Amino acid sequence: MLPALRRCRPGPVPLPALAAALGPGPAPGLSPVPGLCPGWSPRAVPVRGRKTRHDPPSKSKAGRVKLPPPVDPEELLVVQERYRQYRLVLGALRAEFRAEVLQKKQEERLAAQDSVQELEEHRRLMAWNDEENARQQARREERARREEEEQKRRKLEVAEKQARKMKAFLEEKEKEVLQLQEEAKNFITPENLEARIEECLDNPQNYNFAIDKDGRIVKRTVLS
Amino acid sequence: MKGRFPVRRTLQYLSQGDVVFKSSVKVMTVNYNTAGELSEGARKFVFFNIPQIQYKNPWVQIMLFRNMTPSPFLRFYLDNGEQVLVDVEDKTNKEITEHVKKILGKSKETLEKEERERKKLSHPATFGPKKYHLRECMCEIEGQVPCPAFVPLPKEMRGKYKAAMKKEA
Repeated sequence: MLPALRRCRPGPVPLPALAAALGPGPAPGLSPVPGLCPGWSPRAVPVRGRKTRHDPPSKSKAGRVKLPPPVDPEELLVVQERYRQYRLVLGALRAEFRAEVLQKKQEERLAAQDSVQELEEHRRLMAWNDEENARQQARREERARREEEEQKRRKLEVAEKQARKMKAFLEEKEKEVLQLQEEAKNFITPENLEARIEECLDNPQNYNFAIDKDGRIVKRTVLS
Repeated sequence: MKGRFPVRRTLQYLSQGDVVFKSSVKVMTVNYNTAGELSEGARKFVFFNIPQIQYKNPWVQIMLFRNMTPSPFLRFYLDNGEQVLVDVEDKTNKEITEHVKKILGKSKETLEKEERERKKLSHPATFGPKKYHLRECMCEIEGQVPCPAFVPLPKEMRGKYKAAMKKEA
């Protein structure tokens, strides 16, 4: 992270030779390396200069040997050891603080959860819920009872209706039988056939009469 | 939009749900029937209110069981092993939500307190990335100097002019 921070620091940013040649203020419009230089720095310009990355290096660089910067081994060891200890201590401190903050948050959360008031409140609400359930149960039983009554009443009604229908039917049939019996008295049987014929011949019926709209006999014609 | 009541899928509808469960509620189970007059309230509850509840409580598991019992009910499983039974036969969906909010929902005061705590963490007057702050630059505010990317600054404000004037003088 340190080199990245160093790049973002305000102040003398590494200038390529090209920037000086461009005059008092190189236009920031020359696309700087994206993401690396802050937009407000007026001196940062691309380091590549004239050639793109696909162009071969020039002849003057033919024998160039790039060497890394010289390092003193003892100094390096000492510096590395110091840095190692420093980073160890810092990391431990950070972890310690992080754990402390987390612990505090957890404790606070648990305390808020386990407080007596909360438990009391919870129990009260559960009791209310149970009461509500009991009320619902009562309502349900009431409804079931009413349904049963309704069912019984309906069954009774149906039975009654059936009985009534049966009775009416029987009565009807009785009436018919009686009527037939009545009519049977006037039937013509082989025994009183002779008598009935004699009777008809003795009493001629005269049907020659006219009727008006009210059904009264208006005119009679004599039977010939 | 697609579906029978597509308004149920809008953010506005979902954020209108006001049942926020206490942190001890882990699972909610709904047993209901797809037919029958007595289960009507439960069906409406499942259809209209459960999306709102799930939106407000993304870490609560909600399970639906259909046609397994003769009467509809809700069952909540808390983290201490306790189970809370709520009989919802012959109740409207509004009544069911009110009941649930009363017994297991966070009260309005608690919600407001949490909201205030959350607000305390960030300061509304600071400037920075949109993810953490309200504004990024002063040029966004009405009445301030507009962003020079859209409206060029008058020459008296530009460093170029000021430097030239100084050199002249």
